[in-house]
Amino acid sequence: MPDLSLSVTVNGRTLHRTVPPHLRLLDLLREDLHLTGSKEGCGAGECGTCSVFVDGVLLKSCLVPAAKVDGADVETVESLGPRGALSVVQRAFHKAGASQCGYCIPGMVMAATAALRSNPRLGDEEIKERLGGNICRCTGYQKIFDAVALARDVLCGVRPASALDEEELKDGSFIGTSVRRLDAPSKVTGALRYAGDMTLPGMLHVKVLRSPHAHAVIRSLDTSEAEAMDGVAAIVTAADVPGKDGFGVFVRDQPVMARGKVRYVGEAIAAVAAEDLVTATRALAKIKVAYEILPGVFDPDAALMPGAPVLHDYAADNLVKHIPIRKGDVEAGFAAADVIIEECFETQQVEHAYLEPEAGLAYVDPDGVVTVHSPSQNITHHRHMLSDILALPINKVRMIMSPVGGGFGGKEDMIYQGMLALLAMKTGQPVRLVFTREESVSTTAKRHSARISYRMGLARDGRITASEIRAVYDGGAYGMSTEGVIRKGAILAGGPYAIPNVKIDTYGVYTNNTPSGAFRSFGSLQTQFATESMLDMAAERLGLDPFELRRRNAMRAGDTTHTQQRLDSASLLDVLAGAEGAARWERGAPVVRGAVRGDLAGEGTRPPCRLGARFAAPVPEAQAEEVA
Amino acid sequence: MLTCDHYITARTLDAAFDAMEAFAGRYRLVAGATDILPWAREGRAGDVHIEALIDISKIADLNGVVIGKSRVRLGAATPFQAFLEDRALSAVLPNMRHCAIWFACDQIRASATIGGNVANASPAADGMPALLVLNAEVELALRDTGGVRRRSVPLAELVEGPSRTSIAPGEIITSFECDALPTHGGAFEKVGHRRSLVIAVACLSVAVSLDAGRKAFDDVRIAAGGIGPKAVRLAHTEALLRGAPLDAGTIAEAAELELDLVQSRSRRDYRRAVLRGFLTRALVCAAREAGADVDVLEQTLEAVDA
Repeated sequence: MPDLSLSVTVNGRTLHRTVPPHLRLLDLLREDLHLTGSKEGCGAGECGTCSVFVDGVLLKSCLVPAAKVDGADVETVESLGPRGALSVVQRAFHKAGASQCGYCIPGMVMAATAALRSNPRLGDEEIKERLGGNICRCTGYQKIFDAVALARDVLCGVRPASALDEEELKDGSFIGTSVRRLDAPSKVTGALRYAGDMTLPGMLHVKVLRSPHAHAVIRSLDTSEAEAMDGVAAIVTAADVPGKDGFGVFVRDQPVMARGKVRYVGEAIAAVAAEDLVTATRALAKIKVAYEILPGVFDPDAALMPGAPVLHDYAADNLVKHIPIRKGDVEAGFAAADVIIEECFETQQVEHAYLEPEAGLAYVDPDGVVTVHSPSQNITHHRHMLSDILALPINKVRMIMSPVGGGFGGKEDMIYQGMLALLAMKTGQPVRLVFTREESVSTTAKRHSARISYRMGLARDGRITASEIRAVYDGGAYGMSTEGVIRKGAILAGGPYAIPNVKIDTYGVYTNNTPSGAFRSFGSLQTQFATESMLDMAAERLGLDPFELRRRNAMRAGDTTHTQQRLDSASLLDVLAGAEGAARWERGAPVVRGAVRGDLAGEGTRPPCRLGARFAAPVPEAQAEEVA
Repeated sequence: MLTCDHYITARTLDAAFDAMEAFAGRYRLVAGATDILPWAREGRAGDVHIEALIDISKIADLNGVVIGKSRVRLGAATPFQAFLEDRALSAVLPNMRHCAIWFACDQIRASATIGGNVANASPAADGMPALLVLNAEVELALRDTGGVRRRSVPLAELVEGPSRTSIAPGEIITSFECDALPTHGGAFEKVGHRRSLVIAVACLSVAVSLDAGRKAFDDVRIAAGGIGPKAVRLAHTEALLRGAPLDAGTIAEAAELELDLVQSRSRRDYRRAVLRGFLTRALVCAAREAGADVDVLEQTLEAVDA
């Protein structure tokens, strides 16, 4: 492959480099120059974590062939502040609390800097418009917009420079004071290294061969041709696992790589460590797998039927777990009801969509300790499982939690750390795996989809007399966190309401779908969505105000939950009052009143999106202080 | 991942043709590169190896803008951001800045070119309806034994359908010639899953001029994208509106006239409803930009809609 010679000025220094001709600017910055403040969140121009200036114009460096910057002047996030100090924009992000996981923040800071360079006096709508190319998953954006507005005001002299300083403690207390985050400076500068930013001498790059089939027996697996390729250091499969293979939070049903059988599209089959990613990718194509396709099952109710395809030998009924809750006598409760409502609800899978795709770096240290850096949300548990899998004593396994670039539950499962450990042991070299965005979306755990059958009885005054709830959660191909998720789903299914008669059953079921796992609210969102929808329908049927209906049923301090927990305090009434006030709710039954409702617009309501704020903006006054 | 053996940055048309000859059948032309890199990923084309990528974005012939009395020449490598930053250009192509503001995001439209947008021939390309409104003619260049030959084709004929154009092998789009519309007002409407960085489910570009009293339409040009295999002009609607009074009845009638043009593979009813709303709003916005007082008209139309 002929190489490409480049001369490029990066952050003020002119460099001459010879690179592969396909290299992207992002690769040049991250891999050759170790300027890892520019992140790769998607590789497709969608997220903006890789934004850099090229000849003064902000571009997404994942979409820029490195050849295009020959002779150009590139500025990265590392160049914004004078060494060891923060720029005004970075200080504003620090002050406003605009960084959480931090992975999008270098790109956001770059976009904010570009926006202020384009129009130093831009309005709040124009800030949103100019940051439109950058995605954040944690903040909900408001604090980021606040930070840009703060930087603008300080740079234009509308607010004093001291507005960027730490707030004084109110009455000497942190409570009620806006405190700057200790970790923010490392995030706004891009200095913080996530797992995918780390490198070690002699490091190999890992790619994973994944199943194209949802359910199949692996008849044969031949890696010899791939292993013989120049630049390939090692390939591991299930055959390389020395100990007891299997991980999972409640049941260790998932092998590090497919063991004789694949159970979902995207399941890992083999992992290649090679000198570079191109070689690793080409080696994947040389691995020969013969599959015998099995019938799959993709609906959890179908999976529970007799005769359904079976995923795991230990669970012939495809049941991961059933959680029942019984209280009182629901049939008596329905008999006493004036109104009975029956409904079925379905919720969908949801992707966590953290900006940092899964990544890890592993090596065996000089004392033989297998060490894995990864953004794991559960390192101690991972360490114990890996010790069994590798058949090593616990003191020979070390898990180091790298900064988590967004997790939301999605990084609780040990889906790739095992492969890295095996490759580090087999090669004796450091190995690094970074998921592509597509890999992250298509192969990692999702929020459980669920089907909820609901029956609720109510008296005419709105009191719930009985709730019967059956929720079937799609656990996908492996157990992961399913047992805990459906337990929480059951415990909270009835909602924060005092109900005398309750019958709840939640089921976690194996299917050939992508495994489901932990996700914020951990199983309760599905059942609570059904409960709150039922209450809105009940309000309509009974002609009651929906807030009032909820107040009449609210658990209060001293009440006992359906699982016999006595509540010393209960905040539901306060929450309802707050929501009702903030929504300027017009009291009454939720029957459609259309245009005559008075609470549909007004303060706090976002008008429909229109772009073009900059068209109406006044011509910027020249010579506003230059944006540092 | 996109890999190649050669990345050739052509500085002249001849250099580009030399490289195309040397790698005949084994190259791809690259301009902004904002589509080819996401294309060569899992879920679309997967890992792609192309022997030679020939970058034509730095060729002088493909760059630069010439504003004439009645026509404007745009180099094919003109990035969409130019319509937001070059005030002289947006003054004569009044619909283009509205198109540009909805196109991707500031960072991508700094690279993405009009030539690339057209050559890709996506049925939902934002640039297509806007350039159709301007009666764009596309200039293409080809080098054979007789030297470099150029031809001009109306844009409406160049794009034939999804990813299909009449660009011949070995041809390069060099420029676009568009009508200069200094007294028109422009508008653009677009809906997708979100605001920035989204492929249009449907989009609409409008340019209108008014009569001397600013109470009636004079010239009206409308084109829609995302509603069928390729973007189209709404000729009957334009004819109905030309010379018609700028009032709610006329606009409501116009918005209903050509909903049958929606021939998408999916969600036709939705797109018809969207197109009706887009036409109503875009005609009012474009008329306002052309100098009409439309505040009362806008309220009337909104009340009817509610």
